[in-house]
This record gives sequence, structure tokens and C-alpha cells, in this order.
Amino acid sequence: MTQLNVVGKSVVRPDAYDKVTGGKHYPVNYSLPGMLHGKLLRSPYPHAKIVAIDTSEAEKLPGVKAVITHADVPQNVFTPVYFVPAHAKSMVQDFVVMSDRVRWAGQPVAAVAATSADVAEAALQLIDVEYEELQPVFDPEEAMKEGAPQLHDNAPNNIAKAPSFSFGDLEAGFAEADHIFEGVYQTQRVHTCYMEPRVCVVDSETDGRITVHSSMQHGFGLREKMAVALGIPESKVNVVKPTYIGGGFGGKLDVGHIEPVAALLSLETGRPVRIEHTRGEDFIATTRNPIKVYLKTGVKNDGAYTARYIKSILDAGAHATHGAEVIMVHGLYGTFFPWKCPNQTWEGFSVYTNNIIGGGYRGYGAPQGCFAVESQNDEICEKLGLDPIEFRSGNTHKEGDPHPVLQGHTLNSYRLDDCLKKGAERIGFDRRAPANSSEGAKKRGIGFACHPLWVSGCLGFPDIYEHSGATVKLNRDGTADVVSSCIDLGSGQITMLTQVVAEELGLASEAVRVVYADTDTAPFDAPTHASRATYSAGLATKAAAVETRNRLFKAASAVMEANPGDLYLEDGKVLVKGAPDSGVPITEITARAESAFVQMTEEGPRLTTIEEKGTIIGSASQAPPSNPSPVAAQFVEVEVDTDTGEVKVLHVVHAADAGRVFHPKAAEGQVEGGFQQGMGYALMEHLQFDQDTGACLSSDFLDYKIPTSMEMPPKIESIFVESNEPTGPYGAKSMSELCLIIPAAAIANAVYNAIGVRVTELPITPERVLRALGKL
Amino acid sequence: MKQIIQLDVNDEVHEIAVQPYDSLLRALRETLGLNASKRGCDSGGCGCCTVLLDGKAVYSCMTMAMQVKDRKVTTVEGLGKVAGLDPIQQAFIDADAVQCGYCTCGIMMAAKQLLAENPNPDEDAIRKGISGNLCRCTGYQKIIEAIQLASER
Repeated sequence: MTQLNVVGKSVVRPDAYDKVTGGKHYPVNYSLPGMLHGKLLRSPYPHAKIVAIDTSEAEKLPGVKAVITHADVPQNVFTPVYFVPAHAKSMVQDFVVMSDRVRWAGQPVAAVAATSADVAEAALQLIDVEYEELQPVFDPEEAMKEGAPQLHDNAPNNIAKAPSFSFGDLEAGFAEADHIFEGVYQTQRVHTCYMEPRVCVVDSETDGRITVHSSMQHGFGLREKMAVALGIPESKVNVVKPTYIGGGFGGKLDVGHIEPVAALLSLETGRPVRIEHTRGEDFIATTRNPIKVYLKTGVKNDGAYTARYIKSILDAGAHATHGAEVIMVHGLYGTFFPWKCPNQTWEGFSVYTNNIIGGGYRGYGAPQGCFAVESQNDEICEKLGLDPIEFRSGNTHKEGDPHPVLQGHTLNSYRLDDCLKKGAERIGFDRRAPANSSEGAKKRGIGFACHPLWVSGCLGFPDIYEHSGATVKLNRDGTADVVSSCIDLGSGQITMLTQVVAEELGLASEAVRVVYADTDTAPFDAPTHASRATYSAGLATKAAAVETRNRLFKAASAVMEANPGDLYLEDGKVLVKGAPDSGVPITEITARAESAFVQMTEEGPRLTTIEEKGTIIGSASQAPPSNPSPVAAQFVEVEVDTDTGEVKVLHVVHAADAGRVFHPKAAEGQVEGGFQQGMGYALMEHLQFDQDTGACLSSDFLDYKIPTSMEMPPKIESIFVESNEPTGPYGAKSMSELCLIIPAAAIANAVYNAIGVRVTELPITPERVLRALGKL
Repeated sequence: MKQIIQLDVNDEVHEIAVQPYDSLLRALRETLGLNASKRGCDSGGCGCCTVLLDGKAVYSCMTMAMQVKDRKVTTVEGLGKVAGLDPIQQAFIDADAVQCGYCTCGIMMAAKQLLAENPNPDEDAIRKGISGNLCRCTGYQKIIEAIQLASER
């Protein structure tokens, strides 16, 4: 690998200073003079028709400036997901911002803008809505039956989307098998739990243009969806990129109700309007879709797969939105293509119910798939007495294999075997005892799981945007400014962009700043999602920095009277190859480039040249060349209290092939935080709903428990098996989703090893453990 | 009906009008424009709004503004500025304990109380000390390292 000066080092995050002194740039802090505050009235019924709405009393309340209902909202039907066009053929268009048909408890039916949030809240109580209740359906398999209540006219049996893939001969494959394993694996609805709420401030101009500030993961996606929702041209919407946001994890990857509603309220009042979710509203905004996986696998005595049939039923909730894509990714990358099986069929069903809408969440369909497949893999190894590591190795891809999904692409870097080996060594896998063999009430177990195929972006996915752009400008004081639409969710995108530019321009990372960007002025970028930022935005920013460097060398060649091709950068200087004493500071080149043609000096006028003039700037906008797969294996040790049913995670080793690691500490932080979310998914998190009304009963963190410092294991160890991904920036690919995709499966397998009983439904709560042990 | 109260925040006394039901968090953010304390849940569940009240960490969303008159409130604005950071702030930077950062201010205030009362806490004491604060990015490991680092300095 090439010698690098900045990439690969744990440089200080430029945004950290801001964040430890108060963090003034979060969208939640944004405010404008004369700003109104909006609130949404939500339906208490899961399925109903609105017969009438009377807003007259609300409008009379002093301080109320506008009230809107579905009658004031354009009835434009679209897909609210940021990363695809609003009318993408591969998605499902079934969403309007406000409708007279209610499909989930909590659906907004009216909105108020008032001089304070208190007045707006009080006004909601004065809106009189007459509903005609309809029969709801909450279970996706019930919803698929004949005679079930129908949610959308164009979706018979409530099936929003039913993709399937198949190859080989399934029947022959099962006939060839020595053993057939069947199981059903159920996952639950959870929330991303970003800490900063969804919040926006929308202002409008007299010519109908609107400016949007929002805590979200994609400015250009928000611009497009706002334009479609409101029925105005995209150029009338300017979305300002937030300097940073307080977490996203996929939960801010679609236009919610708040931005279009705030826009309509602003257009009506001529004043800026701010809407902020309560935590209870965030919990019902978007969630990870529950998926029930029916899995049947045929294997030979030696563990080789012969056939696999998978049926996945995804609870989309009231609208398809992400559920139309999560089912695809779950099928492609969560269950079907990660494993090498000669005869496979997968059938997926994304099903409407009167539950709340699903959504994006880090891992996007794969945690549900990994939990199913890796639980069953563990069962297979246990039953047949196979070495579980050799079993994984034997049924997965190898470096140099063709990419199983992307035709014409190769798995250039793929070190799953190393991850398995090093992870096993570190945790001491050879000391693992047979299942349920420890003495006493508290039983220990070791388990692991891996995920053999994932993404670095979305190249190859139908309809999904995958290009990035950046502008890099050198300043006269020797610093560089980067304009990029890549949003930092907290995972370090600002730092990554500065590292790339510093590396290419021979600067210290502190000399590079990521500056203001909005959709009016900055090049397009796809969202910060799908593990794509370092790979895709990193490559585009690298290309922009190379342009800048070329421009610098062109100016320097005039100053230094040298061939641009003979120049190189080191320590803030431009040097001529072979003449290490020839250095001219970058600041001198940029100062001359930006100076007047004739400079007055003590010695009199000094002429500069035309060739050296002009801002040293470069830009690029491009799609990445590929979509390399990261891989990882995760080993955990648990202790299960067989009296209380409580599962404690004691030790975690996550071994990952992420290509070149850009920032070791940030990479560890991704693994540690990813494990926390994965452990919450495995053991405790579960949004609860009223069985009759469908209302979400989890309204805050007192009802919805996520791991605190007390539940987290004492040690999460990261091992990076550094490979060189030839298509990536400096050999890098992605890393931040596998660490959350794997934990549920790894923990479930460790729990099995501890108690000898398998829990196939998440979360593995004390109640489920005790039930599995026959104690309840 | 609003009432005028005196609020001592970071050794500066402010005279502000508050409703009886206004939380301290609201007074800090919306009246005084002190935005370091964040709203994450408004129900005492996340700790993003943690401030010190006479040196003790409290959830400012669960504390009424009227309750704290004549008491000393300390927020992150009262810790160091970039020119002279508090050791806890510097330790959070050095340990790479700040990801999205939304929880950071609240956790640093919880850590301030912990270190004031126990200058050399072991890992278990640190875990307990920040157990009322949620973080969704870091898994707490680097936050715990940061507090250890601050205690060593």
C-alpha cells in the first residue's frame, strides 16, 4: 500500500471542538426572527375515513396563524424515500402528505402554526374531526388472507411488493440433501433512536421559493420530495445542508410530514415555521420493519449446502415507503447471495398493515436475514457436529470470485476467512464448551455469526442514486475549503473529507475545512446511507482534490518555471522532482494566483504572469466504479441467568475486513456503537402497540429501553483485517453496518451455547428465555 | 401567568419571565439562548439536557425553572471555551468520544459531578455515573475512556 500521511491516522475530528463547547450548529438550534411553531394533530384510529374536520374554533384561538387539513394539501402521490426518484418504477407510490383516509394510529390529519408551541398544542385540542372507523389489520399474514381489510386499492391482499429470485433446481437440491433443516425466525419493530429529534424550519419567499433547514440525511432527496409533495419545481426549493446532525442511522432517510407541512404553513403565513417532533412522534415516524423468515435448508453430511428455500414476510405498515426496498435488500444481501448454495429460491412479501410505517435503519433488511440464516447455520453445525468456522468458510465466497450480485464485478478484497480465524483466536473459541454444560444457575456461552456480503453504496441497485460531487478550493493562507453535500451523521464524514483533501494536497488535516453547502450551490450527493460515504463521496472528493492539485501545479509551473508533471507536494510546499531544495510554499503560489497582475513592492512594480492567475479550485462529480463488499465475523460471550432469564453480554470481538481503515479510532467507535444497537435489537428493544387500537405505547425512553452504560459489555474489541480494495479511496471500502447486522445472530447463538435452547424470536427477553427453558 | 425570576446560570444572574410549568431546559434554550443543553425526550429518559444544579447533575427537562431560583445552574457554556477547554472537554476530544455529539454536553455534566465527588473513579463507578445518560453512537466505550483520561490528568 502507498505511504499515506493523513489517511489511516486518528486525527482530531474538526467538529469535536464545536460539539464539546455546546454544539451550536445542530438543526434543532436553528431559529429565525418571526418564526412560528407548528404542531400536528394525529389520528387516534388505525383505520378510518375522515368524514369532516372543523377547524373554526382552533382558528379563533389568539396566536394561531394558520390551520391546514388534507383539503389544503396537494394530493400528490409519491415515494418519500430520499435515495430514489419520487416516482421510481422499482418502488411503490402510495404516500400523500395528508389524506382523508387514515391507515395508521398517529397519522397526521391537520396542522397548526401559531406564535408558540404551547398555543399550537392548545389549538390542536380545538380541532373537531369526525371519523368513520374501518376494520384494521395488524398482522401481515392475516392481511394477506382473502377477506382481510384492504388498505390500498391497487394492492390486492395487501401485498405492496412481492419480489423473488431463484436459481438451480430446488427440488433436486433438497432430494440430494442428507439433512433438511426448517425454522421460522421472527424479528420485531424497533426505532433507530437518533438523539436529535426530527426537526425543521421552513421559510418561504414571495415568489414561492422555499428554504429548508432540517435534521436529515439527504439534502437533494429532501429537495426533490418537497417539490413533488408541493407540486412546485425543484429549483424553487433550497435545502441547506446541516453542519452536522444528532444521529440518523437511517431514521432520517425519507421526507416526513413535518417539512412539507411546515412549507405549506409558511407559504400561507409568509413567516418561517418550525416543527419539532416529540420523542413519541419520533418513535412513530419510521422504524425497522419486522420480518418473519421461513427458512428451509438442505445440507450434505459434510455441511455443504444443497438447497435453500426462503420466504420472507415483511410488515410494511400503512405505506410501503422503505418497505418496498428493505424487502429487496433483505432478499439480495440479507439472505440469498451472501451464501453459496447451488439451488435457491427466495420469495419476499412486503405487506401493508395498519401498523406504523417501516423505514430505513442501519443494516436495512440484513439484521433480520442474518438472524435467520446464522441461527439456522448454528443449528446445522450443532446437529451434525460440524466445525462451525469451517462450515461458514465452506459455504461462502472467496477473494477473486465474481461478485454474486453485480455482473462484471469481482470480489477484489474479501477476507472473511481471516476475520473468522482472528476473531476465534481473540475470544478463545477453542475453549467453547458443549451447549448447556456449565454448572449452576448462571450459564456461560460463546457464539458467533458472520455476514458474508454487504455493500459500499448502491451501485447496481435499480433506481437508487449513487453519485457524489465536491469542490475543493485552496485559500491564500494555505488552507483548503471543501464544498460537499455529504452530511455528517456523527459517523465522521467531515473528518473523512478533510483527510482525503489533506492527503491529496499535502496539508495537515487541520488546514482543511468542510464549509457551507446547500442544494442551490453544491453538487449533488446521494444520502449518507448504505455504508457509502467514505467509498463514494470519498472518491469524488479525492477526484476534486486532484483537480485542485493539477490547477496548483499549473500555476506553480509558471512561477517556478518547471513542467507541471515534474512537481510534487510535501509539507505545504510545491517541489520539483529531484530538487528537494526547490520548494515554494503553497501560500505563495495561491497568493500570486489571486493577486493583482502588477504587484507593487519595495523594489518597485513586479509583474506576474497570466498563466499563474485564477483561483486554485477543482471540482468533480462522479459515480463510483464498483460496490465492494465488506465482510465481518463477530464473536460474543454471554452469561444467562437461568433463574431470571437475563442475558448479559460479557465480551465481544468484531473482526472486519473494511479495506484500508481511514481513522482507526472512528472505526472502533462505529463497531462499538453498532454493537450497542445490535445488542438492543437482540435483547431488549421492541416498540409496543395497543392490540386493539394499534397506538404506539412506547412514547419515550422510559417505555422503550436501549442499552445504557450498565448493560453494555465491559469490552468490545475491534480487529481490522486490512485488505486493499483496489477500487476504493486509498484501498478503503465500508464498515459501519455489519457491526449492527451480526450481533443478534451472534448473541442468539451464544445464548444457545449457554443454555442449550434456541430462541428464534427477537428480542431475547428474560421472559422468552424462561419460556424456552420451560420455566414459564 | 408568567412570573419574573432570577436565574443564576454559569455565575451570571438573569432576570427572566417564566410560566410556572416551564422547565429549566426551556428557560435555558428558549429564553436565554443557551443551546448546549439538548432536548432528547422531555421526560427524563435520555439525559441530553443534564446540567449541574449546585454541583449535582439533574435533568433540566424534569426541573421546573421556578424551582431553581437562588440556586446555581452550570451548563456546558460554563465550562471551557476552545481557548481553554475544561479537562473533561479535552478528554472527550482526545479519546474520540464524540460522534454525533448530541448527548455529549449532558454526559460531560454528569461526568463533572462524578469527578468532583470521586476524582479517581474506577470503570464501574464511571458506568454508574453516566448510567442516566443515553448515547446511541458510541456504545459508551470511548466515553468511559474519556472520563478515565480526564481523571488521570
